[in-house]
Amino acid sequence: MNGFKKSPWILHYDASSCNGCDIETLACLTPVFDVERLGVVNTGNPKHADIFLVTGAVNEQSKHVIRNLYRQLPEPKVVVAVGACAATGGIFRECYNISGGVDCVVPVDVYVPGCAARPEAIIDGVVKGLAVMEEKQTAMAADRGNLDQTLYAAADVGDAPSILSLAKAAALTEALLHDDDSFPALKRTLPQLQQEFDWRLFFKAVVNGKIIGAISGRLTGDTVSVNGPAVHPYFRNSDVAGRMLEEVERAFRGAKQFEVCIGNKSEQLLLELVKAGYLSFKTEVFTPKITWVYLRKEKK
Amino acid sequence: MNAWLRLIVYLVAAPVIGGLLAGWDRRVSARMQSRQGPPILQPFYDVLKLWQKQNLAVFPSQNYYILSFLLLVIFTGALFFAGSDLLLVIFAFTTAAIFFVLGAYKASSPYSFIGAERELIQIMAYEPMVLLTAIGMYMVTKTFYVRGIASHGTMLVLVLPGVFLGFVYALEIKFRKSPFDLSSSHHAHQELVRGITTEFSGRTLAMIEVAHWYESVFLLGWVYLFFAASPVVGVVMSLVVYAFVVLVDNVFARLKWQTALRSAWAVTAVLGFGNIVILSLLP
Repeated sequence: MNGFKKSPWILHYDASSCNGCDIETLACLTPVFDVERLGVVNTGNPKHADIFLVTGAVNEQSKHVIRNLYRQLPEPKVVVAVGACAATGGIFRECYNISGGVDCVVPVDVYVPGCAARPEAIIDGVVKGLAVMEEKQTAMAADRGNLDQTLYAAADVGDAPSILSLAKAAALTEALLHDDDSFPALKRTLPQLQQEFDWRLFFKAVVNGKIIGAISGRLTGDTVSVNGPAVHPYFRNSDVAGRMLEEVERAFRGAKQFEVCIGNKSEQLLLELVKAGYLSFKTEVFTPKITWVYLRKEKK
Repeated sequence: MNAWLRLIVYLVAAPVIGGLLAGWDRRVSARMQSRQGPPILQPFYDVLKLWQKQNLAVFPSQNYYILSFLLLVIFTGALFFAGSDLLLVIFAFTTAAIFFVLGAYKASSPYSFIGAERELIQIMAYEPMVLLTAIGMYMVTKTFYVRGIASHGTMLVLVLPGVFLGFVYALEIKFRKSPFDLSSSHHAHQELVRGITTEFSGRTLAMIEVAHWYESVFLLGWVYLFFAASPVVGVVMSLVVYAFVVLVDNVFARLKWQTALRSAWAVTAVLGFGNIVILSLLP
């Protein structure tokens, strides 16, 4: 049994509603409807919430807030758009400052119709959202359970979008470790990455059809410069990074040495590299907070 | 029952009893507000869910502080129920609380920061009374050992009525219930988002919940000591005290931290210290 169906915690955000839907949402907490009997708690905190409940159309100001809040909800999460405005922009959709419904900023799982949406409809929407969340949770658990069936293969340019988002997610955790977001991987764009495919060899680690790890290498002379390994934050504690390093070594059989560069505070990655036989040979200050550590592995 | 057996029963039963008490609290609070309220098992569903959620952390080390908090709370209760020295129990209990505060400080968000500061103020508010309680119990029973106090013949509450009332006041603060839910509120919104727990999610938040269950059982165990001469009365009275705390939670609005601190120290000085002074003057 998992507790997801019995304990949905909600984060309520008013994007730019007329407050009609907000009043109805809060009415759900009152004695008449009492959603707490279903285990619902109205948390004011994205990090505790499971369901992101948005009312009102999205405007230029609230766009960033919605994105920011969405990123702070831990997985698995569900977005419920409450009311006509949250679904499509409603009567405000033609306004100069309105972008449209919530789905123009973050992916929405459940739309609750109405202007204003009735409390019964909102409760129904949340219950629908629970089914979606359970599905996501099972998928997440399945990914973790299938790590031994991870597929390591060469990637082509079609994989670039997934690799880009993965590399960014990985770089974001590095940026948090270093308390500095000037990591080059965070600023890389899709066209740049697609171009890299012309001169670098990319490899991917795939579980259940999803890319959870990526690495690339380029041979100059008899040295391979390795970029990565980037592993999705969920799977950091597994052996994915080590396996991908092996994959690169296998691809460049003739190469004499392999070089890789990481941030000085990425201790876990450093351990993985040392385990794979890499030794550090020089450091270089990049920003006051980030020092690049260069590691090399000699092939006998 | 020997000490080891009591210890094992505590380790297994405390989270179950603590969780049920928390569920009962939410249910009764809802009824007081003429709502139906969640099922009694709701806290267990919550923890089960949190355990499976992604654990977002600003710094991974903040989670180790919380793990230390949980282990130290369990350790505190273990010392207590094994019948050890009450002063050692208080020391372990304070250390646990400090680890919780350190975790919140580590997270470096303004909300959890202020939450942590207020938690420190709350610790300052209840700690003198908790110490006086141990001293009061020593003066009557001539021992700091919990097993000695528990097996002492006199009904402690009859000799230490002031200390008992002061201790109940300290409990209100320790349970983080209104009017003392300064550092983190259980209810809806608050100006600090979730105060001290704001930056914790997933498994770490589940650990905080479980730590609170252990904490409740330990604190109610201490209430039992006041009535230990008659075990049945002891158990009933600790439940009555818990019900009283829930009632007060629903009746009062939150106090300012200044008022909370002053009133706690006033109660400590008048009821706690006064009781002990009278006790020492009596032949």
